[in-house]
Amino acid sequence: MLAETKTMEIDGEKGVDATKAFLGRLLLLPGGERIAECIQCGMCSGSCPVGYAMDINPRKMIAKLRAGRVDDLYRSNSIWLCVSCYNCTYRCPNNIPITDRLIASLREELLAGGVGVPPELQAAFEKTARYGNPFGESPKKRDAWTKEAGVDVPVLEAGESADVLWWVGCFGSYNKRNRKDTIALARLLDVLGVDFGILGTDEWCSGDLRCTSQGEEGLFDALYRHNTAQLGKRKYKELLVGDPHAFNALSKEYRRLGTPLKVKHYTQFLAERASEVRKLMKQPMKAKVTYHDACCLGRRNGEYDAPRTVLETIPGIRLVEMPRNRENALCCGGGGGANWLDSFIWERTRMPLPIQRVQEAAKTGADVLAVSCPLEIPRFEDAIKTSGLEGRLRVREVSDMAAEAMGLSGVRVA
Amino acid sequence: MKAAVVLRQVPDVVEDLVIAGDGRSLSEEDVMYITNELDEHALEQALLLKARHSGTVTAIGLGGDAARDALATSVAKGADEAVFVPVDFAARGDNVVLSSHLASALREGGYDVILAGVHAADQLDAGLGGLLAARLGVPYVGGLTGVQLDAGGRTAVVHKEYPGGRLGVLEVDLPAVLGIQSAEQPPRYVPVSKVLQAKRALQVKEVRGPLPQVAGVTVRKLLKPESATHAKMLQGDEDAVATQIVALVKERGLL
Repeated sequence: MLAETKTMEIDGEKGVDATKAFLGRLLLLPGGERIAECIQCGMCSGSCPVGYAMDINPRKMIAKLRAGRVDDLYRSNSIWLCVSCYNCTYRCPNNIPITDRLIASLREELLAGGVGVPPELQAAFEKTARYGNPFGESPKKRDAWTKEAGVDVPVLEAGESADVLWWVGCFGSYNKRNRKDTIALARLLDVLGVDFGILGTDEWCSGDLRCTSQGEEGLFDALYRHNTAQLGKRKYKELLVGDPHAFNALSKEYRRLGTPLKVKHYTQFLAERASEVRKLMKQPMKAKVTYHDACCLGRRNGEYDAPRTVLETIPGIRLVEMPRNRENALCCGGGGGANWLDSFIWERTRMPLPIQRVQEAAKTGADVLAVSCPLEIPRFEDAIKTSGLEGRLRVREVSDMAAEAMGLSGVRVA
Repeated sequence: MKAAVVLRQVPDVVEDLVIAGDGRSLSEEDVMYITNELDEHALEQALLLKARHSGTVTAIGLGGDAARDALATSVAKGADEAVFVPVDFAARGDNVVLSSHLASALREGGYDVILAGVHAADQLDAGLGGLLAARLGVPYVGGLTGVQLDAGGRTAVVHKEYPGGRLGVLEVDLPAVLGIQSAEQPPRYVPVSKVLQAKRALQVKEVRGPLPQVAGVTVRKLLKPESATHAKMLQGDEDAVATQIVALVKERGLL
């Protein structure tokens, strides 16, 4: 992109310098220059699931920048309402990267300018910087779950190699409600005879913080440097990822920063082996299942089929779709740091997205809401309880369902 | 206004604490240090005072090398000066030794207010602030949730928390040592890039010198907490569990 094209007309007078400085930084980012091509059609704001609660929606944000009024944006709560669902980015007729560039840059500015960050998200930042995970759990206990796996989960030390390096992720490693799904995937890899290993305590948060527009660029860079150094010390053919946010960070943002990695989400990995997976199925699962497309896997990375392919290998299940599916799927509301902004967002919307989504799932008559993202397990489980759907609808990770159909579930001692 | 803040490094209990072979100290290689949480509040309160009255904030890092990171963070947040007071591993939890050592370092500073967290997770006995004030011969008031300085800088009006939700408003002559319970607002966030920037440019004044020999308290033995009773999990299907519950209720005479 030529330097002279990286400009944007500013109409106003007040705050022009601050706006110019902000745009100068934004226009330098990959795709950032497209913001100049906004036609103010409002598609972004109309498709935003929380746009109704924003005092300045994405269309108005760009209009404010054109008017030289970036200061208005810094005073607005809208910047922290974004849940990184990528509806705006996906639907924008001019391909403006609103989520990853505009919102992320605004958040960066708020952090750098000392305006601050809502306290729950601040705690997640501080814990990630200190412990390598947003929960503030002990870094030494990252691989503690392997003791309960019931199968051998090798930790690859520096210099060692395996066909597949499995990036377990923070939720998969620490969150108790995700543990059985992590163990299910370990058992699936084991029964498929995959030569795999994990990074163990050398794995830190992938830093999806930045790519899902939380705006902590320095933290993302620190995590990126640590993780790429650790990955570089091991030999592997592909990187297997359980969390779609880590999938996005590792496959897209790490590449952008100079480390191209061959990354697969676990549903893609299993879908590639669908015939083998199908042969291992032992017991039918009598269930009506609806699948929720994770934003980071679906809209963000165009993968809609792999999770459905894996579900179809399970004998006995009937797959039904929610009216909003694939690229139109409603977000669980947990992306872009919003998992740590639930109360902030609730105070301003009163309509939690996960509750809307589980109600949509229940309306299909499904008894299982299948998911492929670890954040959705706690988010949808809680939403099912608060919307009185307990006993009618269950949330289950695709890996856990496949493992159960193969007869791999239950407590096992290694 | 000239303020100093004591940032003491304490063991981070996110990691399991390991007792060393001597049975009376922590295993040094297993300890990860973190700034005492209430000292972070003391820093925030000092930065709020600076914003209101102008002046300078000197951050004083106390402990091992981890204190340097705490100093970089405090400079990134707005502290003007960083002073590192290295302390041997064995003495890091001993406020009697620390207060004596710090007093000589602080005496020449001419600070109007010295702020410290009112207590710390690892302190042996009394809080550092009170001991420090005694050594310096200045007043001490602790358990504070707010500080206002008068225009002339001669006194401070402080909000002090009492049990039962009671609040006291007190006036204290300056210079004084203030024990902070919580700052008027939660400690601010500083982005990682700013901390790294501060780290690269950090100018640390280091206070060297042996720790003073003072009469105090000595640790004889450290013990891990032991659970006195355990919960018993009943196993089996609903019928089996129900039978066991009935048996238990009868056995304990609870009916």
